[in-house]
Order: sequence, then structure tokens, then C-alpha cells
Amino acid sequence: MNCVGDDMGVIVRTAARATIPLIGIFGSYIVAHGHLTPGGGFQGGATIAGAGILFLLAFGLDEMKKRYNKNLYSALEGIGGLAFLGAAMLGIGVAFFYNTLWHNGPFFSGKPGTLLSAGFLPIMNLAVGLKVFTGLVSAMAGLALYRRWRE
Amino acid sequence: MSAEILPYLIIIPLFGAFSMPMVNLAGRKAREAWAVLISGATLAVGSWVFYWVYEKGTVLYTLGAKSPFGQANFPIRIVWEVDLFGALMVLMVTFVAFMAVIYSLGYMRHDTGLDKYYTLIIILELGMLGIAITGDLFNFYVFLEIMSIASYALVAFRNDTWEAIEAGIKYMFVGSVASSLILLGIALLYGEYGTLTMGYLALKLSQNPTIVGKVALALFISGLLFKSGASPVHMWLADAHPAAPSSISAMLSGLVIKIGGIYALARIAFSIYGASVSVKTVGWLIILFACITLIVGNAMAVIQTDMKRLLAYSSVGQIGYILLGIGIGLAAYGSQTGEIALAGAIYHTFNHALMKGLLFLIAGAVIHQLGTRDLNELSGLAKTMPKTTFAFLIGAAAIIGMPPLNGFASKWLIYESSALFNPVLGAIAIIGTAFCTAAYVRVLYTFFGRPSERVMEAKDPEKSMLWPMLILTIAIIVMGLFPWGISDKVMIPAAKALENQLAYVATLMGGG
Repeated sequence: MNCVGDDMGVIVRTAARATIPLIGIFGSYIVAHGHLTPGGGFQGGATIAGAGILFLLAFGLDEMKKRYNKNLYSALEGIGGLAFLGAAMLGIGVAFFYNTLWHNGPFFSGKPGTLLSAGFLPIMNLAVGLKVFTGLVSAMAGLALYRRWRE
Repeated sequence: MSAEILPYLIIIPLFGAFSMPMVNLAGRKAREAWAVLISGATLAVGSWVFYWVYEKGTVLYTLGAKSPFGQANFPIRIVWEVDLFGALMVLMVTFVAFMAVIYSLGYMRHDTGLDKYYTLIIILELGMLGIAITGDLFNFYVFLEIMSIASYALVAFRNDTWEAIEAGIKYMFVGSVASSLILLGIALLYGEYGTLTMGYLALKLSQNPTIVGKVALALFISGLLFKSGASPVHMWLADAHPAAPSSISAMLSGLVIKIGGIYALARIAFSIYGASVSVKTVGWLIILFACITLIVGNAMAVIQTDMKRLLAYSSVGQIGYILLGIGIGLAAYGSQTGEIALAGAIYHTFNHALMKGLLFLIAGAVIHQLGTRDLNELSGLAKTMPKTTFAFLIGAAAIIGMPPLNGFASKWLIYESSALFNPVLGAIAIIGTAFCTAAYVRVLYTFFGRPSERVMEAKDPEKSMLWPMLILTIAIIVMGLFPWGISDKVMIPAAKALENQLAYVATLMGGG
């Protein structure tokens, strides 16, 4: 039916609508449990970016352009990096990367194995996840926008 | 231990690079000011680190704790360990990178995507600083990759020309192969000895030298010779360095091949393997490659008509001298000759960073004015670009090794030690210089020749491009005024610090 747009048709779009939230939730789970289970910021961020890439493929570049803001994603990527650096600098009084939250609190200092433990690791996982997600989505959007061939 | 300043060498550029996308929203002026501010602050920290290490000796910094020993009885944490050699490299990197950033303000003005350019140039500096200060093998690999990936992207930065893209892809393939060799070497060592800390690895290796350790050394040497552009594998360098924007070429030729190749090679050969392999064999192996590099690089420079390609081949040739110094330093380990050779190599590393940085910045100014780097069209440039030509004259004279300039002292140390070690090597080094002289005299002859029509409308570049060139020229002249003072006060102690594996290990095991 929809032959003019660059999306992939109604079947793929419907399936994508159903799966994108699930992929996002699964990726967020991997990020949030990075210090407990296999995976972490990078893997989870890449999974969430998979949802963004699926959106780009299923709904097409035109739809993507409406929802994607280059400056916002660049800034978010920078914030991810800065949050990582900030977490690493929390314990600069002792040493760079000193895990002061884990040793002294006030939060993320629970029993090992619980969600709110491991000091700065959850913060770093979130920061890396944000950075990887925004970076990969930006890279894919860039590839789609600036391709040099015509079909 | 008061090494609190050390992490700021990494923190400041990291902060600058990550915040660049946000600063970029405030416009072009803010972005440029930010880049200059960050690299200037890094230079200040770098100078302070150098001063500190020079006054107080080797510095040890543990990441994440007070001491490198956890609950274990061996160093388990990531450490940074800076001896005088490393501190000298830090000073060199921060200085030349600062000059390149200032130069970029004028030189890159007409390009787009500059937020990414400044982010990448700061990341490149960060990677090099990390390699210079690290005392942990895997940490070294991570910084090596940060540096390499930033330089692949920067080589292909002007992606409107196929030349740049081709060079970038070629550089990426070769660089990735080299990195994989190094990673494999690290994996072998980790599997065999169960530690990645350089100093502790040295201890384990000397207690129990195995064939796996030797295989790992072979992988390191091959990978790092790739990265430094030594001769049988220099083909990527001659493409990548001319294709990059000139400010980047200055950093690639002046810094990246030194830090990612020479420095790492010297660090691994001396500080890790110094006591556990036959230094004579390894030394002669490096000397062999050095001689090939020396002749091939300088000879290829003579026949180039592309100015930047000539400079790139000349870099290959100068890497040959540095490798020769390091090879003799290894082969004659412990003797006076070896120490002089090593000091010459370190001295030449520093000098060549200044000289080649300057020469590439000049090449960039010429391209900026005339849009060509073909030497056949640059005849008579001295008339219309006198300041640039003067700077080129100084840079070329220094790289040839003319007496009043800084290149003389470092080359003299290398000639002297190689002649003492083995006269044939001395002869080869002199032949290399003959080729080098021929190449640069040719360029100078072109510059001072009869002006062609094309160069008549050229003029000296604007201030932001002229100042870095002038500062580098002044640095070359001033360093040339005190050749033996610098050699005795800085370079010989740096060579001693590098040779003294025991002290390197003791600083680590002492716990800092």
C-alpha cells in the first residue's frame, strides 16, 4: 500500500511497534543490573540502540528525522561521558576511580548482590549505557542520512 | 606520595572532549576557546609533571586505592608509573598538541564538523598521554587504541577527497593488524604470568623466563614497529600522514609514531624484558630494522615531488635514527656507549617532534595559501612568504643536523655511539643523513628559486597559524644553544631511568 515512503510496510511496522518497547526494557534491565549479571552499560546501551535502529529500518528515515535531534543526542552523549568521569572523580581525595560511595556511602552501599550496591558502578553503567545508546543511534542516523548512493 | 596532579593529565582532556558537544552549542568562538583552554591547561599540568619527576624522581599513582596492593601480596591494581623518560614524553605531547590546536584555529577555519575535529584532537592527545604515563600493560593497550582510533578518524577527516578516505582506511587496516598483534602478546603474557602490571611482570619474567614470554616479545616488537612506521611496513605512513589535515600530520608524525611506537617499544623492551631476554639479540634485531628504515626512508624522501609526502618519508628516516639509538642501547646494555645511544634516541625523539611538527605546520601554511603541495609549483616562495620560509629553513637545517640547532646534538650522540659500537652502523647513519640533506636542500632550492606566477599572490599566514610556527622555531633555536647542557641534565638521566629496570620495579613494589 505504502509504496512512496521508505518504510518497510505495515507488517514490519506493526511487529516493530510491539517489539521496540520490549527491546528497550530488556536493554534497560541489562544496564541496571550491570554490576550483578553478565552485561553492563555497553551491552545494554547497544541493545537499546537496537530498538532505535529497528525504528529507523521499520518506519523509515522520514519518520526518524522527525524524532531525532542531532544536537540533543550529541549533548546526551557528552553528558553520559561527563557522568562517567564525575563518578570516577567522586573519590579523587584518595585516588582517581576510588569507589568512595561503596566504602563510605551514603547510597549504593548495600549488601553485595543487591541492586543498590557496588558504589559508583551502577552510575557508571547508566552513563555508559546512555553514551552507547545515543552514539550508536547517531551513527546509524548518520549512515542513513549521508549515504552516497541512490537506489 | 604526592602524585595527586597526575590524574589531571587524563581528567582535563577527557572533560574537555566530553563537554565539547555541549560547548559547541554556544557557537564557534566558544568551541575554539574551549579547545585552546583545555589543551593549554593540559600543557600546564604536563609541564608540572615533568618538573615534579625531574626534581623528585619516579612517580607512582594507583587507580582506585592508596596502594597497588589490594588484600593480595602482589600489585593487583592498575598503576601509572612515570619516570623521567615518560615525563619527557608527556611534556613533548602536551607542548606540540597545544601548538597544533592553536594552529588549527586558523588552518581549519573553512572546514565543517569542527566540533568533532576538536573532540578528536583532544582525545588523540589523551591517548598519547595515557601511553606515556601508564604502568599497566592492558591500560597501555586501551590508551593505544584510543590514540589509534582517534588518528584513523582524523586522517579521514576531510572526507570530501577520496585520497583522505583511502588513506584512512589503509591506516585503519594496518593499525588494526598491529593492535591485534600487541593484544595477542598481552594475552599470552597474562595467560602465562597472571599479571598485567609492568613492573611485576618484569619480576615474574626474570624469575621464570619462558618461551611464551619470548613469543609475546616478538609480537610486541612486530606490532610496535608497524605502529612506528619502521621500514618494511612503512607504506601506510606515507599515505596517512600527507592525507591528514596538516595540524594532524604534525601530531601524527611528531607524536603518534613516537609514543605509540618508539616509547612503547623502549618501555616494553627495557622495563619489562630488560632482565629476562638476551638484550644483545633483541638489540641487533632492532638495529637491523633501524638500518633498513634509515636508508629507505631518507632515500625515498629525495625523490618525492609532493611536499607532505617528502616530510612523511623523512619521518620514516628519522624513526630509523631513533630505532638505531634504542637498538644500540639494548645491544650495548650497561655500557657507556649504550647509555649515550639511548640518550641520543630520547633526545632525537624530542627534537624530531619539534622539527617535524614545525615542518608540517609550514606545509599546511603553504597549502592554505596556494592550494597545492606539489614542489614543482612552489618555486620562489621565499619572496612572498618570507617568515614561513625562514621557519622552514630553520626546521630543515635542524632536521639535517646543522651545528647551531637542536638536531645536531641528538644526531651527534647517535653517530658517536653507533661509530663506537660498530663503525659500519656509523657509516650507515651518515649515508642516511646524506640522503636527508639532499631531500631538504631540494625543497629549499625550490623555495629560494625564481618565483613562478602562482606564488606571487601568496602571503604569510594569519597570526594564529604564524605564532605556533614561530614558537616552535624559537624552541628549536633555544634548544640548539644549550645542546650539551640539555643532554647532561635531562637526556642522560632519562636514559638512565629507562635503563634502570630495578628502580622501576622497586618503585612499584615499594608500594608508593
